[in-house]
Amino acid sequence: MASRALAHCMRSVARASARLNHGNMLTRSACAPLASNQRALSAVSRGQRTRWTDLVRISGPSLHLCRRYGDLPPLTLENIQDRVMYVLKLYDKINPEKLQTSSHFMKDLGLDSLDQVEIIMAMEDEFGFEIPDAEAEKLMTPKEIVQYIADKKDVYE
Amino acid sequence: MAASSREHVLSLYRMLLKESKKFPSYNYRTYALRRVRDAFRENRTVGDPKAVEELMNKARDSLAVIQRQVCIGQMFEIQKTIMEPEEKKSD
Repeated sequence: MASRALAHCMRSVARASARLNHGNMLTRSACAPLASNQRALSAVSRGQRTRWTDLVRISGPSLHLCRRYGDLPPLTLENIQDRVMYVLKLYDKINPEKLQTSSHFMKDLGLDSLDQVEIIMAMEDEFGFEIPDAEAEKLMTPKEIVQYIADKKDVYE
Repeated sequence: MAASSREHVLSLYRMLLKESKKFPSYNYRTYALRRVRDAFRENRTVGDPKAVEELMNKARDSLAVIQRQVCIGQMFEIQKTIMEPEEKKSD
């Protein structure tokens, strides 16, 4: 009985989020370029995931919240580049109009080494893995960041 | 500034930011992040090796303080502010 109730509950959550997802996609794609479509999807699925873990947590308090990446869209070079550029555009010291994939953080965008450290940390948060200091300081353009992440994640196309 | 010292400063900056992000309480977290950023920016022009060394010692002490306070903060449940779910997503 309890399991049936739980299953019903989960189904309705899934249905609700599907509806939400649909609406969200529509509004997002109306006002934003291609890049944010993927994000809308992943943001929704993230929201859904937390709700799922909430459900799970009710039945087992010993379970901890953890990030799962299995259901994110597959990484491609294009996809990585979109996400990198999206993060960079949100960084308040970068002028989004000047930003190009080949622009150098210090020479073209006028940032300093402290900003560069923060950018790399933002990339770590976005892609969920650590970039060691020695390699982080060599990443000076969006292109290099994309290439580095693609290498680390074994993405070649 | 010598190259090794520059590297040390940057890695210290990174560690301070990383550690500050772990504060469970919104107020402490944003304050620590802002304070670390401001302090490093304030002293970016310091060239005297002795002064740099002194500032780095201060930063190391602060790092220890932050680590300890994060640890203590995690021992107690705190009430989340109303805007925090939003904050987390945009982080």
